[in-house]
Parts: sequence; C-alpha cells; structure tokens
Amino acid sequence: MAVPSFLARDRIVAKPGFSRWLIPPAALAVHLCIGQVYATSVYKTSFVERFDASQTTIGFIFSLAIVMLGLSSMVFGTWVDRNGPRAAMFTAACFWSVGLLVAALGISTGQLWLVFLGYGVIGGIGLGIGYISPVSTLIKWFPDRPGLATGMAIMGFGGGALVASPLEGRLLSAFDGAFDPAKAAASSADAHALTLMFVVLGLAYLVFMMFGALTVRVPPDGWKPDGFDPSQVKSKQLVTTASVSAHNAIRTPQFWLLWVVLFCNVTAGIGILEQASPMIQDFFRDGDTSTVTAAAAAGFVGLLSIFNMGGRFVWSSTSDVIGRKPIYALYLGGGLALYVLLATIGSTSTAVFVILAVLIISFYGGGFATVPAYLRDLFGTFQVGAIHGRLLTAWSAAGVAGPLIVNGFLDAQGEPGSLVAGDYRPALFTMVGLLAIGFVANLLVRPVADRFHEPDSTSTRERSAA
Amino acid sequence: MNARIAASWALVAVPIVYGLVETIRKAATLFTG
Repeated sequence: MAVPSFLARDRIVAKPGFSRWLIPPAALAVHLCIGQVYATSVYKTSFVERFDASQTTIGFIFSLAIVMLGLSSMVFGTWVDRNGPRAAMFTAACFWSVGLLVAALGISTGQLWLVFLGYGVIGGIGLGIGYISPVSTLIKWFPDRPGLATGMAIMGFGGGALVASPLEGRLLSAFDGAFDPAKAAASSADAHALTLMFVVLGLAYLVFMMFGALTVRVPPDGWKPDGFDPSQVKSKQLVTTASVSAHNAIRTPQFWLLWVVLFCNVTAGIGILEQASPMIQDFFRDGDTSTVTAAAAAGFVGLLSIFNMGGRFVWSSTSDVIGRKPIYALYLGGGLALYVLLATIGSTSTAVFVILAVLIISFYGGGFATVPAYLRDLFGTFQVGAIHGRLLTAWSAAGVAGPLIVNGFLDAQGEPGSLVAGDYRPALFTMVGLLAIGFVANLLVRPVADRFHEPDSTSTRERSAA
Repeated sequence: MNARIAASWALVAVPIVYGLVETIRKAATLFTG
C-alpha cells in the first residue's frame, strides 16, 4: 500500500547536522498519547452509568483495544517497516484520534456499539501502529544504546497513563461540576462531560502525535554515531549484524522462546496490576475492615504506575551494559523470588508488601521496554519493527490470561471484600510457576542459525532503506 | 539545533512532570493514611 509522498520514507532522511536526540521526544509524543489506554479507571463508573452496563462489559472495551493493539501491530508491522516512521505515526494519530471521536459520538448518542467500534477497534489499530512506529527508527539511530533508546520511548507508554489519569479527572470535573475525581470509583460524570472529554482528548492527541510525525527522521544509509564501532557490538554474545526477515523470524525457536518470555512476564505483572487496589486492602484485612484505606490503596496504584514507568527506562538502559539475556534472567528469576516472598511474608507489614510489589512492577515494565533491543540483538535491524509487532501478540494473550487466572482463583476463594492474604496464595504461586517457565525459556535462547539470515546483507540494507 | 532539541524535550517533559507530580501527590496518601 503506497503512502502520499509527504509521508514517504525517502522524504524524511536526515540531513547532515541533524541530531539523533530529536528522535526520542518524537517517539515519546506518540507513546504518551496512546498510553491513555491504561487510564480508564477515572471514567469507568461513568460509562457503567451512561450505558447501564456491567463492569465486565465496559472492561471489555479496553480489553478489546489491547487485543487490537497486538493484532494490528502483527498485521501492519511489515507495512510500518517498509514505509517508515512518519507514515506510521501519522496513520496511528489518525486512527487513535478518530477512534476517540467515534467513541464520543457513541457516548453522546447512547450507542455502546459505537464506543466498541471507536475506542476498541479503530483506536486499538492506532495503538498497535503507534506502539511499534518509532521502535525500528530508534534502534537505527542508537545502535550503541538500543536499550536506552527504546526504554525512553516505551517509558512514554507507561507515562501516558500518569498524564491522562489526572487530566481526565480535571476535564470531567470542569465539564460536570458534580463529578469528584478523588472519588472516581463512586462518582459519575454525565454524558455531556464524557463526550466533551473524549473530543478534547481526541483533538489534543492528534496535535501531539503530529508533532512526533513531523519531527521524526530516519538516518542516512550507513550512518553511525561518532566513535561507534559496530565490531564491538558484534563481539557480544547473542548479538548479530546479520539480517533476519520477519517471515523467517517467526520460524525460529528464538522468536517463540521470546514470545513465551514476554507472555510470562506480562501475565505475572498483570497479576499485581489487575488487583492492586483490593489486593493491598485484603492483605491487611482484620475482619470486615482493612488497615489500608481506599485512599491509601489508590495511592498504592499511583506508586505502581511510577515504578512501571521508571522500570521501563532504568532496566532497559541497564540491559545495554549487562546484556539482554541476563536482564531477563533478573526480571523472571528475580520476579519469581519476589512473588514467593509476596505470598509468604507480604502480609507482615505494608512496607514489605509495597517494596515487593513495586519491584515486581518495575520488572514488568522493564520486560516491555527491553524486548525490542533483544529482538535487534537476535534478528538484526532489517525488519525489527515487524518482528516486534508479531511478538506483541504475546501481550494480547497475556492481557486475557492474566486477569482470567487471578480472577478465577479469587472467585473460588470467596466474595470480594472478605478475602485475606492467604486467599491470594494460589494465584501468586501460579504466577511463580509462569515466571519459572519464562526463566527457562530465556535460558534456552541461543544465536539464530545462519540458515535464517538474509543471503546478501548489502541488498538487505538497500531494501531496508528503500 | 540545540534550541530545537530543548523545545522538543520540553514539550514532552512538561506533561510527564505534571503526571508525576499528580501521581506522587496521590501516592503520598499511602504513607500518610
């Protein structure tokens, strides 16, 4: 599918003197906007009231958006790599913005199916294309620090929720004076306020993402940063300078081992995120009351968001120094140990519980941010965006499996509001088992066999730049 | 070019700082009750 000439890759080749430090803000501009998908709790109750629907039905809108993220990144990954980051960011901005505006129309007219179509399907496609749009470009601009570069961008996805959550609260209370953002779980905004909020977000995100699309550039053929010696990178274990196509990558055991690694790491993280607020209250429950108030539990959720974002940058950058395989051994092996501690001594004090939980979440974020660099190491830069897109189906699968596992175990233990720390143990030890599987999968990762490499690296580079 | 880099970073840093401050304020209730 051809793109208009102003979006074409050859129109955005950087001229001499262009600084690569303009690329991370361009990438962040996109990820900060699409990260809104994790800031839905502010208006979830308002949606339930507006459509007279169950929490589960409303929750499915956001699950659908994440499933579409995985599917669209898989389907459009090769298109993104072929047409370059400006076309991808522009397309993502249009889909994401139109998705929010169609959802606004659905809220305004009281038609839930339009919200599913707008936010879940159209917006979800924008999420997928937007998520992978800067990855390949960042890796090419930062061959010396790919973990740092992708960590900065994907940190933006975590940061997007941090920005959108308070912003949505302020918008809703501005449009509906009766809405109290401090009690979003109980307070409900009217349809007019919800509609206006979605329109404002849709237009603001369009402008912000267009800044990214207009700023981004691809490096000229053969460009490398000053002082960078590619032979030093090649000398590291698992790192290749060969090229593997997306078509070939999914035929390698390495791709599927990484799929398992990402699936296990994300599922385990969701185990905490999904139940964060009730979980901390249940862990410190004494009879019908908990020593952790609802406001303190909301503060705990905020703290998790900060460590989710910070972990993406800190751990991914650290992987440039210690290597991708060792850092995943830490995410999965360390996470396993932390989950065991959470299940056994987590209820001894809130400080212990909070420290264990924030470390687990930082590993969850780190797993997302480091995986593009791991793919670059194993498969080269040729079609790393497309390969990353295919790998993100693991996220979609984990987004369904994680809540199913946790909710399934908790439903079997008793009614919400009556659970205690011990009731979480079956779910937590299931996560320990998953992390053990992921740990073994990571250990099994070896360099990709030569038969999967593209035959002519010169022609591969030319095609990659075409 | 330096001014353009600073402006670009400022554009993304401002919302991040806003989000961080708001979230830290909310998270503080965890320690203050």
